[in-house]
Amino acid sequence: MAPAEQPAIPPLLRLAGIRKAFGTVQALDRVDLEVRAGEVHAVCGENGAGKSTLMKIMSGVYQPDAGTISFEGRALALHSPRAAEALGVVMIHQELNLIPHLTVAENIFLAREPRRGWFIDRKRLHADARRCLGRLGVAIDPQQPVRGLSVAQQQMVEIAKALSMNAKVLIMDEPTSSLTEAETGRLFEVIHELKRAGVGIVYISHRLDEMAGIVDRVTVLRDGLHIRTMDFADTTVDEIVSLMVGRSMDDKFPPRHRVPTGEVILSVRDLQVKDVFGPVSFELRRGEVLGFSGLIGAGRTELARAVFGADRVDGGSVSLCGRELAIRSPRDAIAHGIAYLSEDRKAQGLAIDMTVAQNITLAHMDAVCGRGGFIRFDQELATARRFIDTLGIRAFGPQQIARFLSGGNQQKVVIAKWLFREARVIFFDEPTRGIDVGAKYAIYQLLDQLAAQGIGVVLISSELPEILGLTDRVAVFHEGRLMRVLHTSETTQEEIMHYASGRNGAGAAGPLPHASHEPTAVSP
Amino acid sequence: MTDRQKDLFQKFAALASLLVLTAVFSAVSPAFFSVGNGMTVALQVTSIAYLGIGATCVIITGGIDLSVGAVLALSGVVAAMLVRAGLPVWASMSAGLTVGAVCGAINGLCVTWLRLPPFIATLGMMLVARGVALQITDAKAIGGLGEGFAELGNGSLWRIAKVGADGFPDVLFPGIPYPVLLMVVLAVAVAVLLGRTRLGRHLYAVGSNTEAARLSGVEVRGVTLFAYVLSGALAGLTGCVLMSRLVTAQPSEGLMYELDAIAAAVIGGTSLSGGVGSISGTLIGAFVIGILRNGLNMGGVSAFVQQIIIGLVILLTVWIDQMRHRR
Repeated sequence: MAPAEQPAIPPLLRLAGIRKAFGTVQALDRVDLEVRAGEVHAVCGENGAGKSTLMKIMSGVYQPDAGTISFEGRALALHSPRAAEALGVVMIHQELNLIPHLTVAENIFLAREPRRGWFIDRKRLHADARRCLGRLGVAIDPQQPVRGLSVAQQQMVEIAKALSMNAKVLIMDEPTSSLTEAETGRLFEVIHELKRAGVGIVYISHRLDEMAGIVDRVTVLRDGLHIRTMDFADTTVDEIVSLMVGRSMDDKFPPRHRVPTGEVILSVRDLQVKDVFGPVSFELRRGEVLGFSGLIGAGRTELARAVFGADRVDGGSVSLCGRELAIRSPRDAIAHGIAYLSEDRKAQGLAIDMTVAQNITLAHMDAVCGRGGFIRFDQELATARRFIDTLGIRAFGPQQIARFLSGGNQQKVVIAKWLFREARVIFFDEPTRGIDVGAKYAIYQLLDQLAAQGIGVVLISSELPEILGLTDRVAVFHEGRLMRVLHTSETTQEEIMHYASGRNGAGAAGPLPHASHEPTAVSP
Repeated sequence: MTDRQKDLFQKFAALASLLVLTAVFSAVSPAFFSVGNGMTVALQVTSIAYLGIGATCVIITGGIDLSVGAVLALSGVVAAMLVRAGLPVWASMSAGLTVGAVCGAINGLCVTWLRLPPFIATLGMMLVARGVALQITDAKAIGGLGEGFAELGNGSLWRIAKVGADGFPDVLFPGIPYPVLLMVVLAVAVAVLLGRTRLGRHLYAVGSNTEAARLSGVEVRGVTLFAYVLSGALAGLTGCVLMSRLVTAQPSEGLMYELDAIAAAVIGGTSLSGGVGSISGTLIGAFVIGILRNGLNMGGVSAFVQQIIIGLVILLTVWIDQMRHRR
């Protein structure tokens, strides 16, 4: 295999001017990327920057709207993942795609089993699998079922599978996200091995600090745009972070009616769910908007669901206004005035076949029911009309089926449900996802009003501008740990990203599992 | 068509087809459109209607109950055996009803606590209940149940008859059979339950979006359990009424009735994916099946061809329903 540095050799894989839109959303806009033999090329960007779309185009899952793809200098189209694999472009997904009941060898050669006549040649199958695994220097029995393997071992099987296809370009999506430190080290040794063998590796990771040892070049994407490609040696992690988040803040947010924050309403102590998050402690004060920031998989949604009683917890306590609560189900949480607006509105928030009125009253049927559980329809409709007016829900009337509302109006219906329930603490999980800009503004105004009325608001958002524009304080999570609680007025996108990607500031003595309310203690 | 029009179309499609069927059969066979035959059809429909009402509640929650045919046989057989053992009729029938409710509760617990798919849970119950019914009766019919046992299935209200000159009673009005009366009462009660109470609302919410219902504080397990208990109890009732009508308890009675019940609900617009359905629709569906059978019988169409026609009607109505949801 030729060394990568010689410019005469065309790059293994080259994407130029790639554009891809989904509906009205431009996911990628004129993005370039080239992968040379024997290099590790990192692709960085925030959630939604377009990384996964780009990977899917590279591996043949999506077709670009415009732009060219060339492999070893020849322009071509990748019509399917199979076509990409035939060339040697193989993707290893974050959620590993192995079949648990089959053996390691069967997985490696799935749908490419060596055959003798009509039957699988088991001898050759196992020998070939052993050779692939041997190349990686890992000791895994090819005849073992995959279901018994650790995540790290499964990843090695995936890599072995890729090598068995003579992979020349390997796309790795968050390969270390569920590995221990030792396993990560082992993976990096394998990556070095592959580099020496001339394999080009596209490496996606939120863990910027890990990249130092293995990455040769880095490309930064932001909002679907190609920002810059540079040699890793010529840059710093801080520069990468600032390129990732460096967009301007416009008037996308209403002015906040900040009220002096009052006493603690919600206090969470050492709450944890094993292997998911925690122990986490935080406090929410009356009249404040507390942001939960972090990357996907940071455990923010899981924490909110645990407080709400939607998932089982492994320890810790939740107190409301100083009284410790025993929350075993959403029912209990709701009875105490805690509400949770799910990030997946259609799957978990709305009963879409039911009417607007029925959705609004669902969590508080007592208020519209007379004796014997009979619904008082006049009260129900009046309630629905009141919220349709106050929240500006655009519906034909309370009897409209929720399915036919726009995303923003559906979200308002879900919010109305919790306002009618007179919730004292509301967790908003990505409340503006999939909502157009105008409706977003209305939701932002609503959050501000709720806080001004003394309701404790927690805003879980992956969009940093939203966090900075709306919250009073922001809790930054990384892989299930609460890294820091920062005062929003005194922080920056860079600082939040810094903690969200798991880095600790200079001078900070390791990750802090417990919240610090002192902004002065934070200096990156 | 707008969505609203489509909804109306579906709602009235079943009713319209019911009227069309009635008109066609009346034209073909003069005996069809008479008070006497009307009551016969109504009586024949009762079993499908009772089971259909239960099936509707279960399907609204997103489940299915395949066990009702077998459960009704077990309930009827238990009631008959207790009568033969000397218990009063009311006590025996209450016991039959209870057996149905218990079977329903077991179904419900399998679905909510063991998290078995409803199809599997009730398929198991179907086999178990049928097996028990056959085992305890030695697969033999139980006869000699007496006048009292026959009253529920064969008596009627407001029957007007005078004894004619020949000594035989001359029936002026056949009366409203008790089973028909019971059907009306049940339909109204469950329709009110579904449409006007918190429990009914929760049934729809669970079927429409289980997770949203749970996150809104709905007691999903309790609500689901209720639907299966109701379905089982109604199957028990059906068993008692049916065996009373025949004055014989057959352990093999009610074979495939669960499919009639599901068909009635589906023809009436109940969605198998849950969250949508009404008792009025299910009654219309039950009558569509009943009138088809009765009319085709009177027209001399063979039982085999009847099956073919009813099968096609089910396919047609569900296809219309799919069209409505494909937007």
